[in-house]
Amino acid sequence: MVSGTTPPADPHAGRPEGRPLVLLAYVCGFTMVALAAGLDETLGVVGGVLNVVFGVYFCRHLGFAVAAARWAEHDMLAADVGLDSWTPTVAVFVGCKNEELVVDGMVTALLALDYPADRLTLVVVDDGSDDTTGARLDAWAGREPRLRVLHRPPGSGGGKSGALNDALHLVDAEVAVVFDADHEPDPTALRRLVRHFRDPEVGAVMGRCVIRNGRDSPMASTVFVDFLSGYLVNEYGRQALFELPAYGGANCAVRMSTLRTLGGWNPHTVTEDTDLTLRVLMTGQRVRYDLSAVDFEEAVVSAQRFWKQRYRWARGHQKCFRDYWRPLMRSPYLSPVEKVETTLFLLVYHVPLLSGIGLLLTVLRAFGIGDLPVVALLPLSMLLFIGPLAELSVGLLIGRVERRSAWRLLGFLPAFALSIWITTRAYVDGMLGRPYTWVKTSRSGATSTVRVDPPVVTAAGTAA
Amino acid sequence: MAIAPVAAAGRHRAGRPRRPRRGSRRLLPVLLDLALAAVICAAGFRYGAGFLQVHEARWVATVLGWAGVDSVSGSLERHVLVFRPDGEIILAEVTESCSAILSVLGLTALTAVVLRGRRQHAVAGLVVAVAALLLLNHLRLVGSTLAGLVWGTPALVLFHDWVGTVWNLAATLGGFLLMVCITLPTAERAEQDVAGRHTARRPDSWARPGLGYRPGDDDVRPVTRRVNLTGLVYRYVLPTRVARWIGARREAGRIDYRIGHLPSAERAARVRALASDGLGAHAASLVAVATYDDDPAVLDVLAVAIAARQWEPVTHPRVAALRLWARGWLLRHPGRDVTTDVTADVAEPPTERLPRDAARPSPRPPVPPARVPPVDPGPPMTASLPSPRPPAALPPADGPAVLVTGAGGPAGVAVVRRLVALGHRVVAGDADSAAAGGALAHTAVTLPRGDHPRFVDALLGACAAFGVDALVGTVAEELPQLAAAAGRLSAAGVATWLPDAAAVDLCCDKAAFARAMAAAGVPHPATAASAGRLAGVPGPWVVKPVAGRGSRGVQLLDDRDAVLAALRADGGLIVQTRLAGREFTADALVDRDGAVRVVVPRWREETRAGISVKGRTFASAAVTEVVTGALAAVRLTGPANVQGFVADDGTATVVEINPRFSGGLPLTLAAGADVVGAYLAGVRGEPLPDLDFRPGVVMSRYFAETYRSEDGAPVEDPCAPVAVRA
Repeated sequence: MVSGTTPPADPHAGRPEGRPLVLLAYVCGFTMVALAAGLDETLGVVGGVLNVVFGVYFCRHLGFAVAAARWAEHDMLAADVGLDSWTPTVAVFVGCKNEELVVDGMVTALLALDYPADRLTLVVVDDGSDDTTGARLDAWAGREPRLRVLHRPPGSGGGKSGALNDALHLVDAEVAVVFDADHEPDPTALRRLVRHFRDPEVGAVMGRCVIRNGRDSPMASTVFVDFLSGYLVNEYGRQALFELPAYGGANCAVRMSTLRTLGGWNPHTVTEDTDLTLRVLMTGQRVRYDLSAVDFEEAVVSAQRFWKQRYRWARGHQKCFRDYWRPLMRSPYLSPVEKVETTLFLLVYHVPLLSGIGLLLTVLRAFGIGDLPVVALLPLSMLLFIGPLAELSVGLLIGRVERRSAWRLLGFLPAFALSIWITTRAYVDGMLGRPYTWVKTSRSGATSTVRVDPPVVTAAGTAA
Repeated sequence: MAIAPVAAAGRHRAGRPRRPRRGSRRLLPVLLDLALAAVICAAGFRYGAGFLQVHEARWVATVLGWAGVDSVSGSLERHVLVFRPDGEIILAEVTESCSAILSVLGLTALTAVVLRGRRQHAVAGLVVAVAALLLLNHLRLVGSTLAGLVWGTPALVLFHDWVGTVWNLAATLGGFLLMVCITLPTAERAEQDVAGRHTARRPDSWARPGLGYRPGDDDVRPVTRRVNLTGLVYRYVLPTRVARWIGARREAGRIDYRIGHLPSAERAARVRALASDGLGAHAASLVAVATYDDDPAVLDVLAVAIAARQWEPVTHPRVAALRLWARGWLLRHPGRDVTTDVTADVAEPPTERLPRDAARPSPRPPVPPARVPPVDPGPPMTASLPSPRPPAALPPADGPAVLVTGAGGPAGVAVVRRLVALGHRVVAGDADSAAAGGALAHTAVTLPRGDHPRFVDALLGACAAFGVDALVGTVAEELPQLAAAAGRLSAAGVATWLPDAAAVDLCCDKAAFARAMAAAGVPHPATAASAGRLAGVPGPWVVKPVAGRGSRGVQLLDDRDAVLAALRADGGLIVQTRLAGREFTADALVDRDGAVRVVVPRWREETRAGISVKGRTFASAAVTEVVTGALAAVRLTGPANVQGFVADDGTATVVEINPRFSGGLPLTLAAGADVVGAYLAGVRGEPLPDLDFRPGVVMSRYFAETYRSEDGAPVEDPCAPVAVRA
């Protein structure tokens, strides 16, 4: 057990970075089977297995779409209960590294949060920025005594998790809420997030992130649709059907006692959110999702940034599967159905990789290599596309987006191809254990949901 | 890594892992929906695949025939025969994978289980998508056939299997996108645009959370309305009644977000107007107010408006939700003064100020403070919100109001007119919101029918809302419920004078009435309630319902067999001897002690649909005697209408008594017997004045009209300058 203020040196150490031998075993195993049973037959079996996997995910996607179409809008419009009467002490943490383009909007939004001032602590961590982020934060702190700024020296390590863990030691509160530097929470978001902690079984709560710069570029617009689907359909479906939503790393809250018990955020993963989700589940607590707790964030605006962001997500998520799948399957806190869903969730970033293999088998068959899949219930195209497209379209529907947005779904075809490449690369890199550290997502700061009145920053970094 | 269970910290009982199963409740309907999708696909494939294959093959040959290609035949089912110039014959089969059936079924299943919430939009999207799919697949088949015709079998196979597969994938994707596009809302009705900006201009507190961001520079494009197909269909294609019905359904489920932009006082007035139109009529908007509005004054008005309409049937879960919310709100705020809160906001520019409760004189007897002031709620937000308004020419009236039920009937209209003429403030109640009496009174209120279980609740709500201190009922069928609720009415400060329930029952049951007349020795026609007793009833006959009014269901029969058949066919009928002579009606008023104050007989010289349209008052001792005897026999008090016949020899016979004012009441009033005013005095506990009447007054009735526009505003009578005195 970890005490609240004296964490062990590194409670998260001990997970191997890569598993090259396992990858080698996969290759050798396939080769041996192909040699023994024949390549064509082996490819036919692989194709059949893939079809079964795709069929399962197709049903999962469709199930989420059905659940969201049935209930999400009602949940979104449901009356709030007891927002004013439940106000535990809250500490809001934000990690910033070279975020001068967005930090003013973020701080403005934080200061506008609707929450009793004496129950709220705002802590922003300047994680060794080499731009004016630190100076801007100091200027804000000079103007607003509610804001506390922590400066980490450059190279402190641990990425976002390290910054948050350092901030965690500064304050004592019942609930920790995390935003990213490009996020601008809705004023009511905090109350909506923390209300779920009335239930002592709740260890973490996830809010809904909405893209605010969809007009910046076609890629941003595609990500806007992706987020609509991801939060209004996929995340909602996981909660509605299995009560297993994921803690997402920003616009989310975690019970401080749980967090301290778990030793804080894991600095050895680049997806500390998924990591924390799984650890919360393994403690017997639950994660909740509140689709009315909204904050607005920036989408990546170019394919290059998309690559960087999704590669990090894929790399971290795949590592979480490797690290936690076995313990989760042995967890007494999850039912068999929940274990199946958790497995499917952990394998999400493997599916594009498998899709690539499926498409490869199709091409090989065109050249006469490989048998037909032993199981072929539905066309591969339908399995691969219709499920996700159904999710995306329901996201647009619940989001009540105007009609011409339907054609933005075409943007997901190249994005899907890109995802195959990203996840394959991430998988190979991860299995081989190639070194990788946190890479922050670049911002544009072109669009804000708040009217920003930043303090004047002097050369010394103080408010004028 | 060892994970320390939080259970050890005391959050859960140690060693008892939780096994949540709550999600499975929602899993089941989703699985059923997935099963439905599978069934649609399987059944569609089983019964539709062959049909489509056959026709797709025929369409290929037909279309190529139109294009002048006569070397292609669709004579073989599911096959296309291609006769090449070199003599080769290609027999191309249209298999299931060649057909568009899989794509069509996939889109149909998706619509059924995922997009169905958009109803007609989803159906329209599916229809267009399926049409596009069929067309595109047809082009694929035609292209494959032409490739075979020109280049031979390998070209056909290559085009169909490879190019065609990609084509088919693109067609399916295109059809899907087309379907989604049509299913999504138009830009005018959407919440956010394609870039995620909020475009619906919702009030901050009313916005759906997270549906679109609002840029700090607020450069949202202006909302424009344009002509759309749905509007044209409603206006020009659908019958008016159907369009109105559909429109009402849409209105019930539509949130009018414009309410949220109004200042507090206007918002309260709008809420009151919406509620008065029926909780079910604007349920979504009212639920939105309850959900989002944070102004206690507005919420008070809503809660009280809901409380005043507790009689309204729960036709939708939203209505139930409204009542639950109102209950919670009123429990939490038991002592709030709605009117004061709302009108205190003088800084805002409401369309019409609401009068303060204090400005109204105290009711007599004391009435609980009216939670909703009886005022014009102002112009409604939508054209479908008619609200009651007194006629423009009606003089203002102060003081406690009189509620007249049955304001749509001739008796109700006469009572309303008389009370208005006497200077009373009149609230006209009727089950028909368009009842004519409503337009003649100061305030109209829609009530459920007298046999509705919430009739009394609604009545009490209306009395409280409009400061009513006296009730005048003109519908006999309401009397039992009113008599049973006399205590509640009295407790609510509403004075009543209701006849004894047994007397009402006796009057409303013609068979029992006949027995009572016979027992009291009052002349009454021979009566039988069953076929077996017909022998004691000489003909000719009149067959009528045991309980009924206004000559409804009355049959005049001369054939005994026909009478028997009628009695056997309907057990709710009685038969009487049809009396000869001249028909009369007598309006009477009986004091609480049983003393008959006045009897005004009149000849029924002409009736239409049971209502006297021509009549003449007359004096007759014989008639007065039998009428008095009949009233005494049934122990009726209050207003009564006695009907009978005077034979050629001058003897009078009573046929029936209606325990209420009659449809021919205006003649009685014109003859000088103000039974309405006297009755109201009796209702309020005052002594009844002596009444008299003038014989020989003739009445000839005509149709009169009331007018109002859709929003409830009065419309000027085009014939108003022509004064006619009844």
